[in-house]
Amino acid sequence: MSNVKIGESLRRVEDLRFLTGHGRYIDDINLDGQARAVVVRSPYAHATINSIDTSSVADMDGVLLVVTRDDWQREGFKPMPTKSGVKNNKDGTPLSQPDRHALAIDRVRYVGEPVALVVAETLQQAQDAAEALDVDYDELDAVTDPVKALAPGAPQLWDDIPNNLCLDFELGDKDGTEKAFAEADHVVSLDVLNNRVTAVPIEPRGCIASYDASEDKYTLYNASQNVHANRDTFAEVLNIDPAKLDHIAPDVGGGFGAKNSGYPEPPLCLYAAKRLGRPVKWINSRSESFLSDTHGRGQSSRVELALKADGTFMGLRTTTIGGIGAYAWTVGPFTPTGGSARTQGGPYNFPAMYYSGKAVLTNTAPMDPYRGAGRPEATFQTERIVEYAARKLGFDPIELRRKNLMPKEMLPHKTPMGLDVDSGDFPKLFEMTMDMVAKADQAALKAKAEAAGKKYGFAIAPYLECTGGGPKEHAGVTFNKDGSVELAVGTSSTGMGHETSLAQILAAALGIEMGRVKFQQSDTTATPLGGGHGGSRGMEVGGNAVKQAADEIIELAKPIAARLLQSETEEVDFEDGTFKAGASSVSMNDVIEASQDADKLPEGMEPGCLNHSSVFERGIISIPNGVHAAAVAVDTDTGTVEFLGYWVMDDFGTIINPMLADGQVMGGVAQGIGQAFLEDIVYDPDTGQLVTGSLMDYGLPHADEIPNMEIGYYEGEPTKKNPLGVKGAGEAGCVGACPAVVNAVLDALKDDGVTHIDMPLTPQKVWKAIRDKGAHDPKALLGDAA
Amino acid sequence: MGFEGAMPEISLSINGAPVTGTVEGRTLLVEFIRETMKLTGTHTGCDTSQCGACTVHLDGKAVKSCTMLAVQADGAEVTTIEGLAPEGEMNPMQQAFNDHHGLQCGFCTPGMVMRAMALVADNPDPTEAEVRHGLEGNICRCTGYQNIVAAVLDGAKALRG
Ligand code: FES
Ligand code: FES
Repeated sequence: MSNVKIGESLRRVEDLRFLTGHGRYIDDINLDGQARAVVVRSPYAHATINSIDTSSVADMDGVLLVVTRDDWQREGFKPMPTKSGVKNNKDGTPLSQPDRHALAIDRVRYVGEPVALVVAETLQQAQDAAEALDVDYDELDAVTDPVKALAPGAPQLWDDIPNNLCLDFELGDKDGTEKAFAEADHVVSLDVLNNRVTAVPIEPRGCIASYDASEDKYTLYNASQNVHANRDTFAEVLNIDPAKLDHIAPDVGGGFGAKNSGYPEPPLCLYAAKRLGRPVKWINSRSESFLSDTHGRGQSSRVELALKADGTFMGLRTTTIGGIGAYAWTVGPFTPTGGSARTQGGPYNFPAMYYSGKAVLTNTAPMDPYRGAGRPEATFQTERIVEYAARKLGFDPIELRRKNLMPKEMLPHKTPMGLDVDSGDFPKLFEMTMDMVAKADQAALKAKAEAAGKKYGFAIAPYLECTGGGPKEHAGVTFNKDGSVELAVGTSSTGMGHETSLAQILAAALGIEMGRVKFQQSDTTATPLGGGHGGSRGMEVGGNAVKQAADEIIELAKPIAARLLQSETEEVDFEDGTFKAGASSVSMNDVIEASQDADKLPEGMEPGCLNHSSVFERGIISIPNGVHAAAVAVDTDTGTVEFLGYWVMDDFGTIINPMLADGQVMGGVAQGIGQAFLEDIVYDPDTGQLVTGSLMDYGLPHADEIPNMEIGYYEGEPTKKNPLGVKGAGEAGCVGACPAVVNAVLDALKDDGVTHIDMPLTPQKVWKAIRDKGAHDPKALLGDAA
Repeated sequence: MGFEGAMPEISLSINGAPVTGTVEGRTLLVEFIRETMKLTGTHTGCDTSQCGACTVHLDGKAVKSCTMLAVQADGAEVTTIEGLAPEGEMNPMQQAFNDHHGLQCGFCTPGMVMRAMALVADNPDPTEAEVRHGLEGNICRCTGYQNIVAAVLDGAKALRG
């Protein structure tokens, strides 16, 4: 009999250790004889490095080693390559990829760029030496805004990359879209900023590297979301065989994309560990994290919508200029190009679409995926122009959306952006959301807002998502004699609860007790391959790998069951943890036990014969979708916004564990609300210094700034793209949130003439927009650059 | 640096056990707890006293242990997350966090639970708004707070008995 089922809100098995202080995060690990490393970071946004004088610290207390560009060049270490999904410009030439070394070689190109690694006996000694290291710079002009970086006369980051343009991309039918615009009754156009933000996992990044000379082998403990891909990158940099590098992530305190990249610090520590013959530990401080973690979003876009007189959408055209930092990071160039193109247009029926995106190098921290990486941007661009059009042209925003949603009969459908939308029912989710909202009684909410002297606003935001990340995943199952079942996967939970949800899939499929499953992840020695975390792939790719392994184990087990049942393998059926042949039956538990006992096994089978590994490969990415809605009260005297309600309906296909899915949605929405109202990475445009370099300057949402959400799931349209029918849940929350809340605020201000405010909607900006009576230049960002 | 050479000895109780240790003048309480006492449940998430991951109880009050020196805890009673329940068990607040999925990555969690315990000690029957306000000094990046708030309300109820 099966103990657990898919779809059950099982409590998490990992919670006990986290709740009692027994989690094991990177900073909780200390290795015998370890030294401490501190990174010397560039204080300038752009400067030539004249010299680095290591003699300035060589005699300081405890200093063991200073790694500089000289070491890197002498050793012939390689740059870290970009793995951008889009590799070519629209003219077919390859993207411009500057060499990204772990240490700056000739020039520094952003504040915080690693210039040296100082290793000492203690952290304090390393910090003191890092401060004292004498580096001589000649400062150069810097540019931090991607639109300005493209303009003639802008400071050039790389001698061989004209106009700082890394990648020039297009997708869709340009001519067809132009024709749609020419034939349209209405055309609206608006410049939309997707403000630059950063993930801020509460655990900062860190690693411990060690080297075993006797076996010429490295071990790296690292707060990474993606140990296999990172291992390959670090091995490539250091010119070593990946098999000589064991890469293990312990418990990781959040990631959201910021722990996905191939960062410079781990290869620096690996090299230092080899040089010193002792482990080297490095932990980033929070302030350094703001300087050196990857940032996300940061796109300036012109969005144009063509409509018929009756409001029918005819075409959508988006032109984006996105900063990617000073280098092409792991997948940085992809986000403002292919990553933001795919879900343009959302779940609406657009006969024609065209997207053009430029990935631009600027003197700023690296840009790489942040939860959603392109889909939040696309959704925001689409939903803002729809809302703006409704306001400008006098359509009801709810009706305008309802009218243009793809009807269910249209699916499966390939969008003009090439997205394969196989399943879903967008109108149904829209109405289900409106039903949820209706129960909350909008008239009462409005009355409540007005009674408090505030203005009421409401908006609904349908979204279309797609998954991403590594298409392959490995699941290995080992049955131990003590009854425990080891499950090793190459996915990476940094809080999403895979220790529970993946074990749940295995236990449900095999019909064994959850408590028997011992979970292992994020360890290159435990699984030969793995895609880590990213692109909402955990259940979609990882979950299906587990399911596939379980299904194959059931087949492997049938001959054993047949022998126990004195029947033939072909006559054995399996259901709910039980093998049956005719009237007799035997449990999976008994078959597992028999599989360890040579006497009970059919001829040719060995004890341990059920131990099995499987690799699942995703064919086509899945399409999660759903609808967010928000109700707000705006205080027009202060510009502050209060939530009166927040509703979400999601189609994630099959839900493995609704409680965990809720957690993903809630956390994602909170990050979206954070971006919409508080969070903002700001660089000084003249000096390139990071203005928002600590939690004092960068506003993260607190408990009293996030509303309760009512969340529902529609499971009536599971995808056929994978056996479990799951579509992915990890990123959708922050895809739908920004447009829902921003449009709700703008709805509240419609009588004040306010039609647009760029995120974050701080009280000051909201207040100013009201005072300015909505005066706003719709070409404010791109001017004539589009 | 001004404390160089001075290595004061401190005596305090941690999780009910008397502890004596030599610290540098500049040693933070969180460093003493994590590095000297090897109690790694107390976390460091920032360097500006904002995140609350380092929250412990000092003489029954919630404090951010990154914000005080170890010498300032001389003579005090300190409780960390490890001290809330016997090994392998959870107290009603910890149990409520488990029941309500009030944690994801778990990094903010010890600080949240310590803050929540202090909050309900002061106000055994808080409203939702009071809980949200009371958690202002602690940041969670994973959960969106909704389930933390539900957990604290439920934990408070369980602790009221
Ligand atoms: S570590 Fe962030 S407040 Fe103490
Ligand atoms: S659970 Fe990850 S920060 Fe709160």
